[in-house]
Amino acid sequence: MSTISVPVTTERPVSFPWLRRITSNFLLRRLLKALFTIWTVTTLIFFVIRAMPGSPVDIFVNDLVLKGLTEEEAMRRAASLLHIDLSEPLPKQYVEFLGNLARGDLGISYINRGQEVSTLIAQRLPWTLFSVGTSLIISFFLGIFLGMIIAYKRDTWLDHLLTNIAAGLDAIPAYMTAIVLIILISLVWKIVPAGELRGSLSAGIKPGFTFDFFGDVLKHVALPALVYILASVGSWMLTMKSSTVSTLGEDYVTVAKARGLPESRIITAYVGRNASLPLFTRFALSIAFILGGSVIIEKIFTYQGIGLLLTQALYSRDYPVMQGIFLVTTIAVVFSNAIADLLYGFLDPRIRVQGEGN
Amino acid sequence: MAAITAPFGSAISETGKTFKLIARNPASFIGLLVLVVITIVSLVGPMVIPPQNHANVAEILEGPSSRHILGTDFQGSDNLALLVYGGKDILEVAFVAGLLTTLLAVAVGSVSAFLGGIVDTVLMELVNIWLTIPQFPLLAILATMVKLSDIFLLAVLLALLGWAGLARQIRSQVLSLKQRDYVEAAMTLNLGTPHIIFREMLPNMMSFVAISLIFAATSAIYQQTSLVFLGLVPFSSANWGTTLSLAYTKGAIYQSDAAWTMLAPVGAIALFQLALVSLSRSLDEVFNPRLRTSV
Amino acid sequence: MQKHFALGAPPLVISQPTLSVKNLTVEYKARRGAVQAVRNVSFDVQRGEVLALIGESGSGKTTLGLALVGLLPSTARISSGTITYARFKSTAPNGRAIPERTIDVLKLSQNQLREFRWKECAMVFQGALNALNPVLRISDQFADTAKAHGYLQGKALQERAAHVLTLVRLDPERVWRAYPHELSGGMRQRVLIALGLLLEPQLLILDEPTTALDILTQRSIMDVLKELRQRLDFSLIFISHDLSLAAELADRVATVYAGKIVETGDVYTMFKNPRHPYTIGLINAVPTLAGTKEELTSIPGSPPDLINLPSGCKFHPRCPLADEQTRSIEPEMEEIAAGHWVMCWHWRTAREALHVYKEKAVVGAES
Repeated sequence: MSTISVPVTTERPVSFPWLRRITSNFLLRRLLKALFTIWTVTTLIFFVIRAMPGSPVDIFVNDLVLKGLTEEEAMRRAASLLHIDLSEPLPKQYVEFLGNLARGDLGISYINRGQEVSTLIAQRLPWTLFSVGTSLIISFFLGIFLGMIIAYKRDTWLDHLLTNIAAGLDAIPAYMTAIVLIILISLVWKIVPAGELRGSLSAGIKPGFTFDFFGDVLKHVALPALVYILASVGSWMLTMKSSTVSTLGEDYVTVAKARGLPESRIITAYVGRNASLPLFTRFALSIAFILGGSVIIEKIFTYQGIGLLLTQALYSRDYPVMQGIFLVTTIAVVFSNAIADLLYGFLDPRIRVQGEGN
Repeated sequence: MAAITAPFGSAISETGKTFKLIARNPASFIGLLVLVVITIVSLVGPMVIPPQNHANVAEILEGPSSRHILGTDFQGSDNLALLVYGGKDILEVAFVAGLLTTLLAVAVGSVSAFLGGIVDTVLMELVNIWLTIPQFPLLAILATMVKLSDIFLLAVLLALLGWAGLARQIRSQVLSLKQRDYVEAAMTLNLGTPHIIFREMLPNMMSFVAISLIFAATSAIYQQTSLVFLGLVPFSSANWGTTLSLAYTKGAIYQSDAAWTMLAPVGAIALFQLALVSLSRSLDEVFNPRLRTSV
Repeated sequence: MQKHFALGAPPLVISQPTLSVKNLTVEYKARRGAVQAVRNVSFDVQRGEVLALIGESGSGKTTLGLALVGLLPSTARISSGTITYARFKSTAPNGRAIPERTIDVLKLSQNQLREFRWKECAMVFQGALNALNPVLRISDQFADTAKAHGYLQGKALQERAAHVLTLVRLDPERVWRAYPHELSGGMRQRVLIALGLLLEPQLLILDEPTTALDILTQRSIMDVLKELRQRLDFSLIFISHDLSLAAELADRVATVYAGKIVETGDVYTMFKNPRHPYTIGLINAVPTLAGTKEELTSIPGSPPDLINLPSGCKFHPRCPLADEQTRSIEPEMEEIAAGHWVMCWHWRTAREALHVYKEKAVVGAES
């Protein structure tokens, strides 16, 4: 009779079978997958940076030779910055590279007076994670909320209005929204002078648990965050709308009504929870997209995050910094995606027992 | 038998049907119209309007007037003329990159769906990994290594970066087509994989492929103008992104006089993107109301 | 105007029916015009009685079921009629049930209707494989239902749930903490029936409860229903296209065609002495173990378009007995024996014409 498909051996009674089921299957599996992704990306980076003909290392060495160093000196200089012995054979360099990464050693910046790349990134990363992370969470929930409203009011003027706004927001590149916002706020409406919005902190504000500090942080993050939200909320709204529309046609929603459940319970636990599930699979896409967009947004607002650091590194061909930022960004995406997946598994019991992949 | 081969016969008439459906939907019709106008103006305009390659000190940063409908930039060039000149590169890259991305995505997606098994698993895992890599930073870094002055090269690079999401959609589309009666019938009759793909499935996927192409094109425009804006692609000619980038570096964002120089290319890019998206959204609604819900 | 007929109510019992439907008409708005899904239908369901509504798909029987619990989609409109439930107090000392109050379903407010559903009348739908919320445990779905109606909570609820789950032959231990996807289709259907029994409703509506299930599972569901019928005191409306299932379970059978009940009577009469050509056709379509293949016939043609209904008797395009009168005037319900009602001009000759019908049907099927 039993058609249960849980591949768990149940020899001894466990106090929390559900917890065990998740840990033995889902959590571990997801973590391994995340590590595998990170390994793939790092390997890719290594071969692009090091092994490709005309690679950044070659370019850097050539630059130094042009500046008058001998080839040997140039190689030694490059090696000392990258923390890899360039005279070793490639496989050995690769192992060394992975070892460095595992220790958090990302090499030394070509430009910024020999600073450690990891230190540079550590200074900038919190700002980006804060602005991008907060915005993503706000736009995710806002999108779910508005998407459900559209679905419930479909074919009314509100539906047409919000759907068109969402499609428009989805279509317009984030940096354009940023430019238009600045022009509107500081030139047309003259609310705040543009200069005051630049940077992530005003001069003279000391970090600490003070009202001034948090107020200033919020003041500077407001516009970039608004841009990220506007850039991503449209796609969440549209996805949630179509997902809700199809969920509303499911039998269990009709049955829930027949069971006399209050509308509030049906909207949250029956429609909302099921309809929002497909959104979790888009999380990786969205966060990778916003983080990519942050390169330009941070330049426009001179927001002191890793996006701005990357722009500076791009201009000065500072490859260790570029490599470090790219790695850190990817790791951030991989881990937020893993968290989204775990949350997905928590919300949808079918995922937890579903064996491999989708 | 007749029923089995029926979809092939409709391949050509479907194009006609598509245009009829587009014409009936106002949003997509306007979208199509805007696209056609922008394309014609960008291709023909440069032959009609004199180039803006001389600084005109007398008319720097003017607002809109009857002489300069969209005002002038910091060199005294007419903003509208800059727009007319700046479209060609963008359109070319968008079209080529869109085409290549779609081709790559169709190839990977249908191979994955058709062969199934281990090939499918490996390809889809690759897609999942590829999707977690932030594309734009990678593109920007690559742009510092490869000289992207060649439009075609840029398009190839954009396609190599952007195929993954579409490939996944094409795969699920092929998988669902595979279960249709006429395809199953063709398989039972052993008509051969090329026959099944080109005669049974592709005609029925054309609308979806068209939508994918538009989608890839919008993404290409976004990436390309972003690169130009950051000054990472040394485009010699005028380009909406270049105009924007120059205006920004000259501090146009902080001067009300110069706002027009920024707003003109911003408006052009936004309009072009909106036209593409509204066209693809209505195509989507006309053909596959449910398809895009599960990306 | 059709007169109301009391369906086979034993004349000596002066009790109010659990459900009384009078002159109910339901229409859907469609682009081509109004879909007349239910047309001026009247019937009663007595206390403890099982009524089977039998008809092909598209005959309006599901719409009828949805109307009874006020769950019609927004495109539907009830243009006339009343639906009345009698709420009984527990049985009086002399064994008679005393009506406590009556409920006019069409006059209930949204909130009253919500409270009414499932507590007074539970409806188990067609396609029940997807009827339970996939992300909630069975226990949560029981708790949701109980909470919505101010019913038992906590330990008491769990005991009550264990009781109803046992009634449908499920192991409460196994099912209680499970998610729907961990249960088979038949188990899910029985969970839903158990959920339907939870609040002790007086009426249970089962809409094609066994469709989409394999034949063995179908069997076990039918056995469960038969057993429940004997053990519990509630009325049942069984909606199906399958006359043989109805024969097992029902006290009374009503055949539905084009939104109307065309014949009704107790189950024995309906099988031994059917009078409407449609009922006769349905019976001929039921395979029997003894019957040969040749004896099995289907009714030629297909159900009518509910937007453009035929003139006269709505069955005439498919009826071998149709004549000028049939084509122009729709017959009225007629009580031809106690509790046996038929809506046909030719009910007297229909049975004799049965073999003619069958021959014609066989010829029609072959051409």
